[in-house]
Amino acid sequence: MSSEVAMVWDTHTRHTLNRYDEALLRQVAHNLCKPRNQWPVHELIDRMCAGLTNAAMVDRRLKELPVACRQIMAIIHQSRQTRWSISVLVETLAMLGYDDGLAPVTALLQSGLLLPELAPLGTDPDERSAARSRVKNIESWLTRSDPIPVVLAPPTIAKRAHGEPLPIEFATEANDNPRIFEADGLEWPMRLAVLWQQTLAAPLRKTQQGGFFKRDHERLRGDPLLCAAPTEALAEVPDPGFFTAALAEATGLLRAEGAELHPGDLPGSWQSSPLPTLLVELWNALARVSQWSPVAGADLPEAGAANPYASAYLMAGVLIAQVRDDAWVSPNTIEEWIVTRHPFWRGRKPASIGIATFLLGVAHTMRLLQATKNAEGAWLVRPSPLGRWLLGGADQQPVVATFKQTLLVQPNLEILAYRQGLTPELLARLSKIATWKTLGAACTLQLEPASVYRALEMGESLPSVTQMLEGHGMKAIPTAVLDSLKTWSNKRDRIRIYPAGAIFEFASPAEMNDAIARGLQAVRLTDRLAIVPGENEIDYKHFRLMGTRDYTLPPEKCVEIEPDGVTLSVNLSRSDLLLDMEMLRFAEPTVAPAPTSTSIARPAAQARRYYRVTPATMLTARQQGVTLSYLEHWFVQRSGYSIPAAAQLLFAGPESPTATLKRQFVLHVNELRLADGLQQWPRTRDIITARLGPTALVVDEANITALADRLKEANIAFEIAGQATTSEPEA
Amino acid sequence: MIEKAQTRIPVKLHRNVALIQTEDALLAQELLAHRKLAQEIVGRLADNVLLVRAGRVDAVVQELQRMGHTPQVM
Repeated sequence: MSSEVAMVWDTHTRHTLNRYDEALLRQVAHNLCKPRNQWPVHELIDRMCAGLTNAAMVDRRLKELPVACRQIMAIIHQSRQTRWSISVLVETLAMLGYDDGLAPVTALLQSGLLLPELAPLGTDPDERSAARSRVKNIESWLTRSDPIPVVLAPPTIAKRAHGEPLPIEFATEANDNPRIFEADGLEWPMRLAVLWQQTLAAPLRKTQQGGFFKRDHERLRGDPLLCAAPTEALAEVPDPGFFTAALAEATGLLRAEGAELHPGDLPGSWQSSPLPTLLVELWNALARVSQWSPVAGADLPEAGAANPYASAYLMAGVLIAQVRDDAWVSPNTIEEWIVTRHPFWRGRKPASIGIATFLLGVAHTMRLLQATKNAEGAWLVRPSPLGRWLLGGADQQPVVATFKQTLLVQPNLEILAYRQGLTPELLARLSKIATWKTLGAACTLQLEPASVYRALEMGESLPSVTQMLEGHGMKAIPTAVLDSLKTWSNKRDRIRIYPAGAIFEFASPAEMNDAIARGLQAVRLTDRLAIVPGENEIDYKHFRLMGTRDYTLPPEKCVEIEPDGVTLSVNLSRSDLLLDMEMLRFAEPTVAPAPTSTSIARPAAQARRYYRVTPATMLTARQQGVTLSYLEHWFVQRSGYSIPAAAQLLFAGPESPTATLKRQFVLHVNELRLADGLQQWPRTRDIITARLGPTALVVDEANITALADRLKEANIAFEIAGQATTSEPEA
Repeated sequence: MIEKAQTRIPVKLHRNVALIQTEDALLAQELLAHRKLAQEIVGRLADNVLLVRAGRVDAVVQELQRMGHTPQVM
């Protein structure tokens, strides 16, 4: 175990023990390291963690525990998996003949040799929730149902139980001159790569019950690549497409996003690890496959029903590992052993539980088993070198022979991949670069513009693609293929999209040149603007921020309207790049207006830019489709005020009705009630043409004499300004 | 030897800007002429630089791919 992994386990053990109630912690400490003094909690945890790394002490504790505890720890070690559900361990112990399978697990938890999973390994549990979810005693923790209890077995402790004899007996056969069948182990990695590629284009959708939607159901049942029978399978695997999907989900190759399964990043075992490392990952993932079974395929009886296969696969591996190098066992013997002892099937006597199919169809194609036929023509199996290492019988990882030159790139853009040279890394890269067409002893892939574009988007480059094809190629890449790759790659460089770039706006081109000379990794957009794809790459020590604008937020109010109603001043520290473009649609740049008594007072240092609305700019705006409602919205959004009357006048000019200039006589009276009376009195009502204001009435020139008569009749004095003519009241 | 202290460059920072940079002005013009794409463009920063409406980058990428382009998402 590397020091990094040891550190992860040490930290996680401390986190877990920290969440134990003090009484429980002292009880576990007493069982584990038997402290003689009453140590404080944190010191007790230190001593317990130190004890767990002390092999001699772990050996003593294991020896003190019942034999079932050592046997289950030996099986956990053999499984190469540190995380197990309680139900799987209990079922496994039941198959070993222990009716109370929970007791050994409880004893191991109470001794501190197993840890309850309170948070995923390697994560820091939320301290705030720690008080709420404190573990008071192991028995009550084991009885919870949501989430189902899961235990973690530190590898250093499980390893101490290695070699513990297991109460397993079954018949094996000898075969003196066998013809051995051993698969290359690439079948399922290739299918996973195909599914991963397919889900890049269209994710799989799941129903609330956990099944697939009809379209995806048909896709997984009818896809020619995923549904073809595995090349080297010795038994028919039911619904191989569904098995691939379940395995992909269990390994994290597909990740759930709501109701959809999307392709995740290819895990590390696909990047640079040898094939055995990936196969260990797939073998471990089988325990998490719940949507597929080797007897019914995807047609499971009901969602949420018990899944006995996790413990059945585990026990099948344990049984196979017991077979000596010179012996063979029938898959049916393994199945029979499990079906008669597994608590799920015990007493039911089903026709088949699919374990023989699983061994010949899945485990064999994973290169874990060698197979041969006996005299009657029935299949026999035993662990392959890789299987013996994986199932805990060998320390040294077997070396898998690789052949680097395994690709043949043809002028028609087809790649022929001979599978004996394929590695997980090559499979992953090929899945990015080309589209899978056929699987078999020689697989075919097609180079297409979309596939190459996809690879470039995933971080490949033209040199890396050609280097890979040349490095693994059996012949030089045809010129036509190279030209196509170049064309597609260059086409991608024609358009660049920055989804969330940071634009630097400099005051002058010289300052931008200075910034780039100082190491700003930016792309020039204009002579004063440069973009950086991500903010993390910016070294701010060279810059003084004059303003910051975040474009995910609504536009800021950064425009002030001068008293003339047509001059607009922009506060440059708050403005954004859109503002200039918006304003140039209906205004033109201008100089700062001369200060007047009505000018807006503002700090001298505030940098501003001025625009003026003119009849010409408004006419252009109208011609370009700017509407009055747009301007009204824009002024409210950018200045906080409605559009000024002067600007509205200039915009609405062409639509305004014709203005008429005419001579009119205005009758001024001294009081409001007199004007009201003249408008109401029937004798003068018809003479008054309009009312200009509270005390000003309009009279046509032709009616002046009539007006004078009526006013005289009403005893109101009347005179025409500038003339001597007056009329006095009669009384 | 003491190096001359560099003054900080005054700068205005525009964060989270979505934009398209094309190889040439003609291509930018071609994109602007595309009715569906033009709806997502809020302005033209330079001859070959188009500002994209906030939150519409994915739609723009899809539309460009539908048009047969292969945009490089930075």
